[in-house]
Amino acid sequence: MKDGTRRALGLAKRVLGRKGALAGVLFLATVVFIAIFARWIIPYDPIAQDLVSSLEPPGRKHWFGADELGRDILARVAYGARTSLLTAAGAVTVAAFFGVPIGLVAGFFGGWRDAILMRIVDVLLSLPGILFAMALIAVLGRSQLAALVAVGITGIPSFARITRAQVLSLRKRDFVMAVEALGGSSTYNMFMTVLPNSWSPILVQVVILSSVAILLEAALAFLGVGIPPPTPSWGEMLRTGKSYLYEAPYYAVLPGIVLTLTILSLDTIGRTLAWALEERHEQAEEEAEEGDKRSAA
Amino acid sequence: MTGYIIRRLLQLLPVVIIASVGIWGMIYAVPGSPIGAIVGENGTQEQIQAAIERLGLDQPIMVQFWQWFKGAIVGDFGYSTQSRDPVLQVILYRIPATVQLGVFAIVVGLVLGIPVAIISAVYPGSWIDRALSGWSALALGVPTFWLGILLILLFSVQLQWLPSASGYVSFFEAPLQAIKNTFLPALTLGTYVSGIFARFLRASLLGELKADYVRTARSKGLKERDVIGRHVLRNALLPFVTVVGLMAAAFIGGTVVTEAVFTYPGIGRLLIQAITTRDYPLIQGCILFILIVHVLINLLVDVLYAYIDPRIDYS
Repeated sequence: MKDGTRRALGLAKRVLGRKGALAGVLFLATVVFIAIFARWIIPYDPIAQDLVSSLEPPGRKHWFGADELGRDILARVAYGARTSLLTAAGAVTVAAFFGVPIGLVAGFFGGWRDAILMRIVDVLLSLPGILFAMALIAVLGRSQLAALVAVGITGIPSFARITRAQVLSLRKRDFVMAVEALGGSSTYNMFMTVLPNSWSPILVQVVILSSVAILLEAALAFLGVGIPPPTPSWGEMLRTGKSYLYEAPYYAVLPGIVLTLTILSLDTIGRTLAWALEERHEQAEEEAEEGDKRSAA
Repeated sequence: MTGYIIRRLLQLLPVVIIASVGIWGMIYAVPGSPIGAIVGENGTQEQIQAAIERLGLDQPIMVQFWQWFKGAIVGDFGYSTQSRDPVLQVILYRIPATVQLGVFAIVVGLVLGIPVAIISAVYPGSWIDRALSGWSALALGVPTFWLGILLILLFSVQLQWLPSASGYVSFFEAPLQAIKNTFLPALTLGTYVSGIFARFLRASLLGELKADYVRTARSKGLKERDVIGRHVLRNALLPFVTVVGLMAAAFIGGTVVTEAVFTYPGIGRLLIQAITTRDYPLIQGCILFILIVHVLINLLVDVLYAYIDPRIDYS
């Protein structure tokens, strides 16, 4: 077995050994499964209207009730998972695609590049994420792409900062200096030497930011500036559900539970992952120390 | 100290200037002409002409920005395209409501959060600590808007104790009515604040409890209450202050969302209304205003930090 695969397996084992993270992974796996296979599992179309069953309470026909247009709430939650997960995945990709290189360059070169890039990051951070996203959508108009880009941009600063911090801690290490001394180009050094050694905090950030992205997308939809209807989205369902709290109090329950559990799952997995990587890091250092002692003796 | 504050203010200047370039540039990125965005879709010919002259849209772009920026500095953001009132006036009118919600929420957060933090730090690892940690994870993880909906379902729909949508009543004019109206929004937002306290103040307290002075205080026979209340809590608040700064953005975002849940007439709702009616001057004004508030909160945190910790050299 390759060394990398073995380490990944060890890490997965350690994370899944924690009850909270295990529950999170199982829940997320279920949500992903339903999102992918919704067409075969759910007998209802999430968009087709059926005004006869408008606001029908939970029963044998609609397990979690029907919404104001008679659409099955369970079906809309299932298809909403697609919207949510895809938007979040896209947003995190956008954030990492821009944030990681910014952090790499800023940390690796320092000096004026660092000053300029980090100032831009500061400006992005000076506006609360949700407001930045709202401003961007005010300009771009409401669409799934706009929501994705807006949420993605708000994630750039955290990737940039975390990568930069990691690069700074590696910059003067022997193996990086060695590549430099041997005449390796800065680009090669950044992407082939520093980046592969920085993946663990970036990975943690990917997981944690996914939960933030799902929350932000839902919040935008709830405020009425997210993905436009009739695309099913958890935030949009909560928004309409809020108008029928007296007539149909069950309306907002299922989307809210699924949204909350998804966010909590990702957050728990992210924090367990951070803990497991930290522990492994400490272990590796202890082993390295012992190795030093042995070779000294 | 004054020098330190002035220097920090100067450092903020580039951030505010770059951000205002972005906010100003927004108008030019809107599909269609900036004129349409400024006077609104139903603007008359005279209004269009007036806007062109007032904003100097026939002038070079740098001059145009300077004109806008000069106005923005003295608080002139133009006129709302919907109500035709000056943007600044519209914003100022909404401030008391948002401030009242924010203050109430922080009070709720303190009342719920500090005891939770202290209890779980005093008995780390116990069942009560684990239960309270679960509480903080929930308080931080449950989306504000869903929590708001749940509270409405419980207190307004089921028990019918409190209104589900609340207008703004000033606390100084009608305290009881104000508390009744603001209670649910403040509880919604305050739960999040209490989660921050429960998680981060606990961590900070745990760190302090290991310090030597705590052993000294205990061994000289101080009651546990005094050890915690007079010594540990004070020192633990110090690292915690920086967390407050980091959480300011989430708090502001939470305020916007909470106002939407309870149709509460504050700045956040104003911004959402402005976006849905495509009232660009008002959008620009609201965003710049919130940005400045956020930047100032962070400045205040830094200054406060330097002030309470004499070890920090701010010369």
